[in-house]
Amino acid sequence: MINLAYKEIKHTFGKFIITAIGVGMLLGIVLIMIGVYRGMIIDAEVLLDDLNVDLWVVQENTLGPFAEASRIHEDLKDTIHTIEGIKSSEGITFQNLQLPQKSKMIRVFAVGFDPYGDINPINPDRLIDGRGLKRSHYEMVVTDKTGFKVGDKISLGRDIYRVVGVTHGTVSSGGDPLVYISLKDAQELQFLYSNARIRNDRKRGIKTLNSHMINAVIAKVKNGYDVDEVANSIRRWKHNSVYTAKEEKKILTQNLIKTAAKQIGMFTVILVVVSTIIIALIIYTMTLEKMKEISIMKLIGLPNSMIIKMIVQETMLMGILAFFAANIFAHLIYSKFPKRVVLETPDAFGLFIVVILASILASLVGVKKVISADPREAIGG
Amino acid sequence: MSTNTAIKIENLVKRFGKGDSLVEVINGASFEVKKGELVALIAPSGAGKTTLLMMIGCVEEPTSGTIWLGDEKVYENRWLTKQTRKIRREKIGFIFQAHYLIPFLNIIENVTLIPQTNGLSKQESEKIAIELLDYFGIADKAYSMPSSLSGGQNQRAAIARALANKPEIILADEPTAALDMKRSVDVVKMLKKIAQEQDVAIIMVTHDEAMLPLCDRILKIKDKKVVSEEVSKFQDLH
Repeated sequence: MINLAYKEIKHTFGKFIITAIGVGMLLGIVLIMIGVYRGMIIDAEVLLDDLNVDLWVVQENTLGPFAEASRIHEDLKDTIHTIEGIKSSEGITFQNLQLPQKSKMIRVFAVGFDPYGDINPINPDRLIDGRGLKRSHYEMVVTDKTGFKVGDKISLGRDIYRVVGVTHGTVSSGGDPLVYISLKDAQELQFLYSNARIRNDRKRGIKTLNSHMINAVIAKVKNGYDVDEVANSIRRWKHNSVYTAKEEKKILTQNLIKTAAKQIGMFTVILVVVSTIIIALIIYTMTLEKMKEISIMKLIGLPNSMIIKMIVQETMLMGILAFFAANIFAHLIYSKFPKRVVLETPDAFGLFIVVILASILASLVGVKKVISADPREAIGG
Repeated sequence: MSTNTAIKIENLVKRFGKGDSLVEVINGASFEVKKGELVALIAPSGAGKTTLLMMIGCVEEPTSGTIWLGDEKVYENRWLTKQTRKIRREKIGFIFQAHYLIPFLNIIENVTLIPQTNGLSKQESEKIAIELLDYFGIADKAYSMPSSLSGGQNQRAAIARALANKPEIILADEPTAALDMKRSVDVVKMLKKIAQEQDVAIIMVTHDEAMLPLCDRILKIKDKKVVSEEVSKFQDLH
């Protein structure tokens, strides 16, 4: 039996392929959007995974440093350390900084920690050049995305910092490159006012805030102790909020990324709907162009099933080709995006299912037109 | 019905519209066409020639009357079968004013499309198609696309397509309208030869009176009825 779809596509091959590539590029954007979402999740978890701590102690009634402002006294880390079951505890700060590089400023997310402490957020596996922090002042480890190299000097606040190490793949939950500085430097940058401000405050009778503040205490629990039980014993003080690593991850992925995910989800759904409409319009136009032939086929006695099969096969092939074009297109451009884009096979498989469903839906438009085609239209003209 | 009768029409009526917009095109047409006959159907424009052809071809539903195709009564005030398209596919061949070949199929695929749909194998269908194309002198164009053939070659391919399902009836709607006199005569002679050699009843709608002397009989739509005209009346035109 003659395969009408194959014959028709062969006859209009160039046009068919170009159309499929066009639709594929649109579907490629859908894949990229999903990839952006996946990238956000991975980015959000980089710092948490590198820290690998069990507990986060933050300012009372706050969700912690990634969700909202949290300020607690640095000495809380020592108090936490005395709690039964705590193996180690350290103070940590987080802040956004603008680093001057040649003629432009680079926005980074700075992590302040004690280089001599028990918990070091720099994952040695991610260190691609230089070393970690070894001094309490004026050293900085940067991520390669910032463009700085070991030995570079960066002017920040009142001081000049030297780059001692470069990491790869370290970003904040917001996608900003991570830099690491000592806790003392971070406290000065975040909490120490300028001399003029201090003098002004003193004259106003305002007691100057001391700079021995941190954003959170991170702690590891001894083997054999239940993390939730230790967290509960800290919560009993009622002056701080405590989150386990699992809860902190949930705050990051569900509370912070939720809105962005919804936004991306909306875009993805709209793009899929637009793609379906475009495929449907293409199939409708392709069917319209063949109406005379369809009328002749019906007139000479070809059953509807054969003509419908042609339309459905063409639509499905269009969808499948567009899907492959989408994958090629997405893989060609994903690395050009400034933020992490992660293309995963399950997502591509999901898109394939959606494309097949969209193609079936789109083919209905052509099928409806076939059924309504009047064989009498083949006569005359 | 006589075993030699391919088409028998009785009191066929066709009306379009309702109420004030009702138009009666055919009213009480009755005639027969025998196997092996080439019959011309003539009438002024708008008189209902194509409508009559489409009713015989089970495309247009009549308002009332009876239609016999071969020994099968297909219409009696309603279609007696739901499979009118199957009747077309198996019993009728269509030839149009233009060739109307499927542009994305080559000539042999166009000719074998209906036989294959009717269940013949590809090999059997192609054997029939090659014989037909050879008969019409275009066997060497079997694997060419319609776009690469001349108008005359395409029209011959279209006639081959109409014959490929070995029909009992061929309905030709102005098959010579787009051809010059010489080619028109060739095509009508070819249809007559087919009618005689393959025992097929052919009704050919035409405006070209010069083609009428080549036909066996002439049917004319007059006052919404079908009447016979003498071929001899048109002999001097040839």
